[in-house]
Amino acid sequence: MSHGLLSAVGLRRLRVMTRKELLQLFRDAALMVFFLYSFTGDIYLAASGVSMQLKHAAMATLDGDRSFASRELAGRFQPPYFKPVGEAGSPAQAVRLLDDGDVMAVLDIPPRFNERLLRGEQVSVQMQVDTSNSVLGFLTSSYGAQIVGRYGLEVAALREGMGGAVGPRVEADVRVWYNPNQNDAWFMGISELLTVITLFSILLPAAAMVREKERGTIEQLMVTPLSPFQILFPKVIAMTLVILAGCAIALFGVLGPLFQLPMRGSLGTFFLVTALYVFTTAGLGLLAATVARNLAQVGMLTVVILMPMLLLSGAWTPIEAMPPWMRGLAWISPLHYFLDAAYGILLKGAGLALLWDSVLAMSALGILIFAVGMRRFSRQTG
Amino acid sequence: MPSPVIRVDGFTKRYGRRLAADGLALEVQRGEIHGLVGADGAGKSSLMKAIAGVLSFDAGTLEVFGIRIDSERAAEQVKQRIGFLPQGLGLNLYPDLSIDENVDFFGRLRGVPDAELAERKRLLLEMTRLDAFRLRPMRQLSGGMKQKLGLVCTLIHEPELVVLDEPTTGVDPVSRRDFWSILGKLLEEKGITALVSTAYLDEADRFHRVSLFHEGRVMGQGTPAELVARVPGTLALFRAEPQAEALPRLKAAFPQTEAMGAWLRVFADGLDPAQARQAIDGCLAGAAAPAIGLSDWFAREPELEDVFVAMLRQRGARLDTTLEAGTRARPPDAGLAIEARALTRVFGDFRAADAVSFQVPPGEIFGLLGANGAGKTTVIKMLTGILPPSSGEGRVAGAAMRSAGSAIKERIGYMSQAFSLYHDLSVVENIRLYAGIYGLDDRRARQRSDWVIGMAGLAGYENDAAGRLPMGLRQRLALGCALVHEPRVLFLDEPTSGVDPIGRRVFWDILFHLSRREGVAILVTTHYMGEAEHCDHLALMFAGRVVADASPEALKQELAGHVGRLLELQVDRPAPAQAALRAAGFAHVALHGRAVHVLSPDAEADLQRLPALLAQAGISVLAAGLRPLSMEDVFVQRITALEDAARRPS
Repeated sequence: MSHGLLSAVGLRRLRVMTRKELLQLFRDAALMVFFLYSFTGDIYLAASGVSMQLKHAAMATLDGDRSFASRELAGRFQPPYFKPVGEAGSPAQAVRLLDDGDVMAVLDIPPRFNERLLRGEQVSVQMQVDTSNSVLGFLTSSYGAQIVGRYGLEVAALREGMGGAVGPRVEADVRVWYNPNQNDAWFMGISELLTVITLFSILLPAAAMVREKERGTIEQLMVTPLSPFQILFPKVIAMTLVILAGCAIALFGVLGPLFQLPMRGSLGTFFLVTALYVFTTAGLGLLAATVARNLAQVGMLTVVILMPMLLLSGAWTPIEAMPPWMRGLAWISPLHYFLDAAYGILLKGAGLALLWDSVLAMSALGILIFAVGMRRFSRQTG
Repeated sequence: MPSPVIRVDGFTKRYGRRLAADGLALEVQRGEIHGLVGADGAGKSSLMKAIAGVLSFDAGTLEVFGIRIDSERAAEQVKQRIGFLPQGLGLNLYPDLSIDENVDFFGRLRGVPDAELAERKRLLLEMTRLDAFRLRPMRQLSGGMKQKLGLVCTLIHEPELVVLDEPTTGVDPVSRRDFWSILGKLLEEKGITALVSTAYLDEADRFHRVSLFHEGRVMGQGTPAELVARVPGTLALFRAEPQAEALPRLKAAFPQTEAMGAWLRVFADGLDPAQARQAIDGCLAGAAAPAIGLSDWFAREPELEDVFVAMLRQRGARLDTTLEAGTRARPPDAGLAIEARALTRVFGDFRAADAVSFQVPPGEIFGLLGANGAGKTTVIKMLTGILPPSSGEGRVAGAAMRSAGSAIKERIGYMSQAFSLYHDLSVVENIRLYAGIYGLDDRRARQRSDWVIGMAGLAGYENDAAGRLPMGLRQRLALGCALVHEPRVLFLDEPTSGVDPIGRRVFWDILFHLSRREGVAILVTTHYMGEAEHCDHLALMFAGRVVADASPEALKQELAGHVGRLLELQVDRPAPAQAALRAAGFAHVALHGRAVHVLSPDAEADLQRLPALLAQAGISVLAAGLRPLSMEDVFVQRITALEDAARRPS
């Protein structure tokens, strides 16, 4: 062919086609609003709203003893973890509070609690927990058990006359690394950012492609000297640029200033890896566009592709916790490698020297998917 | 006088800031086929939807069956008595349901009792010749069949009024003729009234009465003959050599001048035939050497389209284009522009194109005709290098199809039916995009962009989004984008759908200029036979094969020799007249409004004999005469003969 890909004409073609994609994208007002919201508002909500720690769990007490000891125990359920809402008058009322969702938990202290403690007998307290949200329920019951357990230890120590002195015991001294305050906003914010990047990497190129199919402009492009690569690749370039810009907005406009995300590693490396990931995933979008006939189908396919990608990536559950066959599948989810790399760079300050295997695997997947998409496209239009 | 079925007065409809209908007024009488004729966006669809009770409007009164439609409830009252076929092929049907299921669905929706439904379905499917395909899903039907099924579903509850919005757009001429004949017959038998719209003026003589729409107003209303009589003048058809010299001279004096292949067609406004001849002679005599020679002179009554265009001109529409003389010299004789040699393409067992051969020299306008699915698109796809042929050879713009596909793509321009523009990009952005794709450098891109804007009359619209342009401008922008790299061969796939007559004329003027002045070879496909007359040469395709390959003139002469000449009989009762003529042994009889068209091998004798023959059946002939054969006659004749041959077991 007279005009190679890297000849002046070849480069001009890539340039005008990329410019066209950008113009079209910027003029799609609805899509742009959705895009900007996703990279700002949505990430803000995810980072500030969702927490893996127990916060302000409403709790009522059913104090059958009304003694010094029972008040001491109930008094240990404190904000920010718990929010005592007062006493339940009767067991029936306690159940009603739980049923109505007014409280997460009811602490039931039996009569003669203080008396039996003083006598050195074994006493049980009951805690009723609403576990319809299993994560919150689990957190409530384990925090509760911890508080009660510590109280029990202290009472026992006092009784043995060891008021201040400490006997032989093992103290667990935990150092948390990378995210020392165990700040959920960082984890959730990054996780959401990666999800949004994934969503748009599939959606934007697929939508751009299907729009050409619907309008019939693809037919027009096919009779020009453009090769299938010259038609498809500019879409990927344009969408990558736009998504990187969105990503920068999310990092420097939301996660950095509002949540003090550290960004320890090289940002250059992070954006490079992100670009590579977008390219990989855009291939999936283009593949979806060869199947879909209109924009609605693109929307559905995006969800169909996105869900398993998220599940298999380890963003929601650690891969180690999956059954073996799913663990196998995780190796072909590009998001898996991207998560690894993104957390590594942003929170641990890792560089390419550490992450080369993830990057290599992602590139290999990307080229493979893009090649398959292009083949399907050439066959379909040819 | 009986009250009209539809009475509209001051009908006004706005979409946002755009005024779609601006005080429309018209009346439709019981039992007539009333045609709404006008370009896209002239207000036809808005009015039809309002009459069918599915669109509210802003001002004016609308009465259907004497009931004033001013509320949802009033609309509900008349809906059961109306059948509405919306615009778009098969859009009201369900693609996954079979013919049977579609008809049943519409019947039950309308509450037709089962026994009656079965009987009506049988009759209607038989009449439309769909009964052989009852179990076929609708999406597998051809365009013409879909449209007939749409008609059946619209008629299943025996409405008193049918409202059909562009039922023939995108349908090939044979199916179209079928459609009109079925409609005419049904109306005659059931006494139904029909309101039908079309974007094509050559269909207007199918109507009893016509309303001409323009920019949300009715420009004129009456029988086709009455409307033609409104603008007196003469239509002159002749040859003049050299044609390319004659055309601009004539155009300056007579704006409504067109080139039709080797012929020139001039509407001389307000002149009788003798005056017209004199004026045209005078106009051509002023030429410097070489003198222009005129021959083969015909003068006759103008057609409705000439009148429509004249009316638009009176309202300030302009027909002129600013085309400079060729920006480049005509290339030295470089051999054939397109050459197809036994091109064949097989999909599974299906031969989409079967040994297709033809030749197009530089500077020729070549028309490729055929019904939907005849193989036109497959041939174009092979020639433009999108689809590799299964066998056969081709050369386009001097490059071999098989070995130099990419060279072909750089030398051709292509424009599709969809005008394939980016609607969200501006005029200039669209042009620059294609300039970049074809590798033009910035300086050249600017020059060509200016040329396109001048050629297409887009000055002042440079920064408007392409999607907001009127159809005619959009079409010329698409043409400009296809010409940005000065291709030597231009492929146009149904390039004029939805464009008004003025826009179409300007478009063909440009094509003529390109072919004659710049030596561009143009291959065009169309369903509209009026346009086929513009071509220098035609190839007719049927079932993947080229079945005729000649000039329009030669094809017409051949038809006259084989089947006969065309008689037009104005009668009082057209449908029985059609039946009587068929019974008398005439194979080719078609209804055109109140007139019947008959092909007669012995025209002179039949002209004398037929009025008496029809009088025996109680039909009186009001007028009878010869008419020139049209390309549509040629097409329909050829294709029906081939279809019959294919149906007959060999």
